[in-house]
Amino acid sequence: MFICGYHFPASLGNKISHEQVVERVTAEAGDLSDVSYAVLISENRDGVKQEDLKVEKGSFLFTALADYYKKSDIEGEYKMIYYTNKYQMSEVSKAVDGEKTAAVCKKLDDMLLYRVKVA
Amino acid sequence: MSELRQIAFYGKGGIGKSTTSQNTLAAMAHYFGKKILIVGCDPKADSTRLILHEKAQCTIMQLASEVGTVEDLELEDVCKPGAAEFHPDDTTITEGYIMCTESGGPEPGVGCAGRGVITAINFLEEEGAYDEELDFVSYDVLGDVVCGGFAMPIREGKAQEIYIVMSGEMMAMYAANNISKGILKYANTGGVRLAGLICNARMTDREYDLAKHLAEQIGTQMIHFVPRSNHVQRAELRRMTVVEFADKSDQAFEYRELARKIIANDLKVIPKPLEMDDLEALLMEFGLEEEVEADAIGKKATA
Repeated sequence: MFICGYHFPASLGNKISHEQVVERVTAEAGDLSDVSYAVLISENRDGVKQEDLKVEKGSFLFTALADYYKKSDIEGEYKMIYYTNKYQMSEVSKAVDGEKTAAVCKKLDDMLLYRVKVA
Repeated sequence: MSELRQIAFYGKGGIGKSTTSQNTLAAMAHYFGKKILIVGCDPKADSTRLILHEKAQCTIMQLASEVGTVEDLELEDVCKPGAAEFHPDDTTITEGYIMCTESGGPEPGVGCAGRGVITAINFLEEEGAYDEELDFVSYDVLGDVVCGGFAMPIREGKAQEIYIVMSGEMMAMYAANNISKGILKYANTGGVRLAGLICNARMTDREYDLAKHLAEQIGTQMIHFVPRSNHVQRAELRRMTVVEFADKSDQAFEYRELARKIIANDLKVIPKPLEMDDLEALLMEFGLEEEVEADAIGKKATA
């Protein structure tokens, strides 16, 4: 199955633990020491920007977003995040980062489109 | 050359199955160069219109009734190449292409629609439509599997992997569970497997959670959450897929991601459908059904 865009082989079943996801995403992300911030912007269905959200460095959410941004071939300064990925990142982050990203994750669980920029 | 994969899209009527399947298959051809045959198994014959840029394709059953019998038809009569970039001869954008055919069905209220599906698949096989160059054959199947005819792609072991298009609405969930029951029935004899749920989102509260939870309970994955987008309707008005209409749009990328996952997917399971009580409990947990006191069931509202 697919979590945060990564393929987990069928032999692992249909319930991948948060630890397995964190391990995989962190390994795939590699060295992120050059990344100092990650910012999300939300948009409604008409493409109108709603708000900016900063993501705390060192959290799983930060790592997943930085990895997503670096690997994505979507053009633009801010890159659209697939809905599936934003929900999955939020789910794992809520479990492993706790309060650190709770407020941002609550936002990510809504129906808005999010774009991310990391630098 | 890779082995031919036979996939099918099932789901409740009106869920957006044909739209989802055509946009996804278009993405498989456009971005990944896949060679595809679509077999529309819906009497509405709307499984190929966006690929062909047409209102509706002439169906095998329709053409057979015009010439007498299905044996009098030639493959070229019923199997049409996709329009523009989906045509096999047009390689400007992609090496991939999409061939299209529709089984069709009887006049409304007359006969068995499932017969059309059976006749069409047998005809296509006999005429060599499933040629060696193809990467995928995709069946787009009407509604539920309440009729054995519509279960044909499953029953006869034609479709090996089934994707159920659903949403976070009660009837879509019931249908997804019912289709899983149909797959389970033929899983051991025909080798068919459930490959995932595709949530064609209505953008209702907690829809992702609900779809994911149902998928886990059935033993499969919610492979992709397709958001609602005005681009889909805009493209449909022009009888196009989103991939052609706006290939750099957010929605086109969503279909590209779903296409990528289907191509790489190896999680194909024998489903474990829920009992009705468990399904209702799930719907209540996510607020789609309200729990009522046992003694209130069947009682009229008080003035």
